[in-house]
Amino acid sequence: MEMECGAPMRGSRLDATKAFLQSMELEYDTGAEYTVNFLEQDRIVASGSLQDNVLKCIAVSDHCQGEGLAARLVTELKMEGVRRGRSHLFLYTKPEQRRRFGSLGFYPVAQTDHVLLMEDERDGIARFVSAIPKTRAKPVGAMVVNCNPFTMGHLRLIESAAKECGYIYILVVSEEKSTFSSGDRLRLVREGTMHLSNLCVHPTGDYLISSATFPTYFIKEKKQAAAFNSELDLQVFAEHFAHPLGITRRYIGSEPFCPVTRRYHQQMKEYLPARGIEVIERPRFVVDSQAVSASRVRLLFSQGRMAELRPLVPDCTFRFLQGGGGQ
Amino acid sequence: MEIQQTAVAGTMESSDIMVTISPNDGKGMEIDLDSTVEKQYGKAIRKTIEDTLKELEICHARVRAVDKGALDCAIQARVKAAAYRASGEQAYRWGDAVK
Repeated sequence: MEMECGAPMRGSRLDATKAFLQSMELEYDTGAEYTVNFLEQDRIVASGSLQDNVLKCIAVSDHCQGEGLAARLVTELKMEGVRRGRSHLFLYTKPEQRRRFGSLGFYPVAQTDHVLLMEDERDGIARFVSAIPKTRAKPVGAMVVNCNPFTMGHLRLIESAAKECGYIYILVVSEEKSTFSSGDRLRLVREGTMHLSNLCVHPTGDYLISSATFPTYFIKEKKQAAAFNSELDLQVFAEHFAHPLGITRRYIGSEPFCPVTRRYHQQMKEYLPARGIEVIERPRFVVDSQAVSASRVRLLFSQGRMAELRPLVPDCTFRFLQGGGGQ
Repeated sequence: MEIQQTAVAGTMESSDIMVTISPNDGKGMEIDLDSTVEKQYGKAIRKTIEDTLKELEICHARVRAVDKGALDCAIQARVKAAAYRASGEQAYRWGDAVK
């Protein structure tokens, strides 16, 4: 058996990979960074890919089952992931493959009708969430925010939620796919909410709005509305965050601009209430009859229009941007 | 020796073990084992992993191991290889010989 790999696959090898996956009722993910195939007499009999920290598009042809090819694929992809500095790996597969990958050191995180998300750490998500402080106060609210960067809109929403809730969790997206680093984004939210006592600001780790739970969130430009699916993400939130932390409310700011976020909110309203979590949507904070958004702040910042930007952000963010925004 | 980064050694093929070692921020030794022979040899495998790391004077490490029935010597070799890679250490000590 021969092995080939591509970072990513190109040309005729890419076509062959796509055709093989299609024959296995899987679709090649155009975001794949690295693909490994096993060949028998020049025909692909097994294929798997890596994108960010996720192993995906894994298939072994039926007549090669039981030869340990899935194990070899996962071994190769894991090695590559670690070579690329990704120490915590996830895997997508079909729900009926749970046992196969379970025996290869992957543990279930969440599952929809079509996709099973697994991670290479036993109880990884449970351990992550157990490190978040608990509260006895009620009701408990939560917001999942990117804060790229932290604006007056975020601050006002957090303040009003804190007033209505006994306790509120502000979960700041950890994925490094934004203009500002996750460290800076998290620090600014912490600094800007110090006057509130009933809240906890915590990173989302690899688990919410991440490459693993919600990869399409970060390819907004491509407007892949069809491929868009936030069900895994919402399930992780409901099951692994809301349930153990006692969260019964999720706060969101109305979204007048971004179609992906709007769609996410819509799916949230369909999905979370059935799981005992109320979705509370608040209108955007308005300055000079214009809704405040982080994208507007980024635009003004990139054009050096600091005076216009000033009323849109809290002091801590303004100081940070004046200092160059961590660049 | 100190674990600086995540590193892997071994495979998930039959009779082998895939060992992933990561830093553990001064929280001692944590071993996450998944083995086809867990019931019979789980304890012994964990002990081999721990002893091998101790021999390399590693006190803090997070180990994830997927075992497919590896022999003791294979487990030791995989753990050592992963540990050396994870620590960036180049002076290998295989057994008593220092190279």
